[in-house]
Amino acid sequence: MMRFSTLLKHPSDWMTGHDAETSVVVTSRVRLARNLKSVPFPGWATKGQRGEAFFQLKDLLQELPVMSEGFAHELSDLDSLQKQVLVERHLISREQAARNEGSGSVVNRKQTLSLMINEEDHLRIQAIRPSLQLHEAYELALSVDKFLEDKIDYAFHPKWGFLTACPTNLGTGMRASSMLHLPGLVLSDQIGQVLKGIGKLGLAVRGLYGEGTESLGNLYQISNQSTLGESEGQILSRLTKVIGDVARYELQARAKLLEDDPLMVQDHIGRATGILTFARIITSKEALTHLSMLRLGSDLGILPESLIEICDRLFMETQPAHLQWRAGRKLPADTRDSLRAQIIREQLQPALPAAINISDSE
Amino acid sequence: MFYTQVTNGKMKKTALCESCAQKQGVTDPNGLLMSDQLMGMPLAQKIPESPDFLKEGAAAVCPSCQFSLEDYRKVGRLGCGDCYLAFGAEIEQRLSSLHKGLEHSGRAPAGLLELEVKRSLIDRLNNDLEKAIASEDYEAAATIRDELQLAIKSLSEEESQP
Repeated sequence: MMRFSTLLKHPSDWMTGHDAETSVVVTSRVRLARNLKSVPFPGWATKGQRGEAFFQLKDLLQELPVMSEGFAHELSDLDSLQKQVLVERHLISREQAARNEGSGSVVNRKQTLSLMINEEDHLRIQAIRPSLQLHEAYELALSVDKFLEDKIDYAFHPKWGFLTACPTNLGTGMRASSMLHLPGLVLSDQIGQVLKGIGKLGLAVRGLYGEGTESLGNLYQISNQSTLGESEGQILSRLTKVIGDVARYELQARAKLLEDDPLMVQDHIGRATGILTFARIITSKEALTHLSMLRLGSDLGILPESLIEICDRLFMETQPAHLQWRAGRKLPADTRDSLRAQIIREQLQPALPAAINISDSE
Repeated sequence: MFYTQVTNGKMKKTALCESCAQKQGVTDPNGLLMSDQLMGMPLAQKIPESPDFLKEGAAAVCPSCQFSLEDYRKVGRLGCGDCYLAFGAEIEQRLSSLHKGLEHSGRAPAGLLELEVKRSLIDRLNNDLEKAIASEDYEAAATIRDELQLAIKSLSEEESQP
């Protein structure tokens, strides 16, 4: 079984390998909520019932071929820093991080599949793919779902579908979402309008870490809200279409910005490059803001292409828990801010000579 | 300052200047916000115990897990899968505001779907049979009856499998 440190040494599969496809839609995730028949949901189960469900599911899930050499831990085995690292990697939810005994996380080596045992529901199957690949992510989650349905009885009702602890997930139990990088729409002041339009279509827009979080680094998550009354295919197709449209608006906005006001775009990117390469103290929020501009510069061909992958890795590695894990101990905020600035400088240095030529591109 | 009074479903709006409001004894602006007061009340008090909830499909406590309808109203979560049957009437009232539809049209665990298709076929044939008899179309009724018998046999074979 993979240890926590091994998991952390490897970037998630979706964090590497970039192309034109990932320039706007960074990742696509699908999660399925499932429960065991005749067992109270985790929030209402007794400690004994919860433990029983945990061991039953954990043993079954580890039989999955894709989970050989995977990571499987009860949350009580992890300290608060390790849990926070998993949250930053989107491998467990913030809600699950607050749980301990009888709640567990099973993750495959490539970190494309994350199974949460006894979160709000008995099981949450989550698959994550790079770019706009919601159908592919669903297929991956479905493979686990099908593996399990032969072995356990799910809580299911013909009229209401998969029964979940909260009626907001009833039916397909499926929440599909993509994370989009939308600096063009933000810089051109069109983001508000676009987000409003998405809301009118009955879809939800959230910040980087889901419900109730603010948008940082111009990153937005778009997901379905309704889970009942439409099939999985219908939900995924509708979502894929809307996300594809938003991605096109973003590319149009970027092209228009470059045409109408190239100096402004270059100024934003140049300032961000300057701050990130010379700052000695930087907060997580400020880092995300400037890394977003660097990523944009790289997408637009103003900065070297190799920077995109570095930016995406830094998005993750400069988060508070990742920083502290790297340091091997808990760090106060001011120490984190200086360590963050140092890591960013070190990582950007190899790409620097070209980056400094930013003014020559006029 | 606006004072809105709702009596027997009729709304009466009164515009008051600040001094008139004081003359009439309306001095505390918060005193007017009855909606806020109402919204601030515990949920259990806000929703009257309607006899509807005691009808079929609306038990006060789930017989399988003892989770109560009151708890559902407080936290919006359920205790177990059977709670959906126990509190079905009340949950359904909320579903239309949450979802595009009221009935599942996604996938079902293997096996369950076929059973369901057969069950709904039987329901449909039963309805058709009643209609045919009511309209005294005995020829059609005989055909439907044969189909129905086949469907029932097929379902019971399926259900008796381990």
